[in-house]
Amino acid sequence: MTHGTLSLLAQTGFPASMAQATLAHYVVVSLLMFVIGLIGFLTRRNLIIMFLCTELMFQAAGIALVAFGRFHLDYTGQTFVIFVLTVAAAEASMALALIVLLFRRKESLSAEDWQELKG
Amino acid sequence: METIKQIINPYMLYGLCVLGALGVCLALPRRGISPQVLGALVASLAGGLLLLAMGAANPGSLPNIYFYVFSLVALGAALRVITHPRPVYAALYFVLTVIATAGLFLILSAEFMAFAMIIVYAGAILITYLFVIMLATQSPQEGEVEVLTEYDTAAREPVAATVVGFLLLAIMTTLAFRGLPDLKTPAPLQADSLLAEMPRKIERALDAAGTLPEGGKVKLDDANRAVVDWTTRQVTVVAGGSESQVAIPDGLKASNPDRLGFNLLRDHPGTIEIAGVILLMAMLGAVVLSRKQVQIDEEAKMKQANSLAAALAKAKIDNRTGEGGGME
Repeated sequence: MTHGTLSLLAQTGFPASMAQATLAHYVVVSLLMFVIGLIGFLTRRNLIIMFLCTELMFQAAGIALVAFGRFHLDYTGQTFVIFVLTVAAAEASMALALIVLLFRRKESLSAEDWQELKG
Repeated sequence: METIKQIINPYMLYGLCVLGALGVCLALPRRGISPQVLGALVASLAGGLLLLAMGAANPGSLPNIYFYVFSLVALGAALRVITHPRPVYAALYFVLTVIATAGLFLILSAEFMAFAMIIVYAGAILITYLFVIMLATQSPQEGEVEVLTEYDTAAREPVAATVVGFLLLAIMTTLAFRGLPDLKTPAPLQADSLLAEMPRKIERALDAAGTLPEGGKVKLDDANRAVVDWTTRQVTVVAGGSESQVAIPDGLKASNPDRLGFNLLRDHPGTIEIAGVILLMAMLGAVVLSRKQVQIDEEAKMKQANSLAAALAKAKIDNRTGEGGGME
């Protein structure tokens, strides 16, 4: 590593030893978390847990966006995570309001209680 | 196949996918005796081996220990979110996932996003979830031991779901690894390009370092940027009609919130508008959804008030007739 690069690293407060994980590592963590969320969404029958699993998938997408942004030196990735955060907050408020309404009708959180909706 | 081999042995990748699928499948809740602990162990073994094996193919680029700690905590907590039979604990494990993800963001030098994530997710969204979980669970009757509901203790189609999930994982890793070997190490952040956009920040730093002349201002060009010579790191300062060159302090740099702010407000101004509209719609939706319930409550209250008034009037009449009876 040349002296110039080292001084630039010191300037940006980014120790050289911290910069070692490859993009593939972050992508694998993100994909694993996404798949865990997907499996949870498919298998769990509690409506609240199903929505928690969608939040897990949002998190996974956020890790991928920030990691790609870091490796491409483009801050749009982080900007987009702010947007994802907004959508997650809006979705949580609406979905939870709906879940409370549904619970008041049937006194149960099971997704299978609403099977007649499939038409 | 060639590009995957630069990252990990493909047979190892697919073998670990199968092992992980087996572990997650065992860890999902089911009726009767379920080997949840064994499944969780197998799944975390597969995940840990996968992350370790990726470093082994390329010893020059081993991640530091914090990456392993944060990613394993995040993935383990995520696994617990989908396997824990009690919703409250699942929500709390999700908080752990959020905090570990914030740690990963810190390693990626995204400090603002890390703390925004903790504040918004762990502080706001998860509290809403906890409220709803507590609103929407039946409290146990007097003297009754709390029992788990049937829909929380048994997963639906665990085998099919894990097979589909990990098949998707194998396909996505295969596709994603094609272009990744070119981007092995993160390039150092560019230190200076944004600093010229923030003349006041430079001014404050010069003032703090004591190098700003009395009554001096950083000279601005037509686009309100500071006039900076980056080869010598010197900024032009105007003081009392005369210009002078002053060196920028060494530690001064555009911080992560600075860069994010410029990216958000200068490069993507429409994003904020759209986010605002989405939040407004969500708020309206939540108000409309809960208003119906309030109307029902109002009707019930009205009915109650009417019956109360009727009873009161009746009691008054009875009383009056009773008094009349006394006078006679």
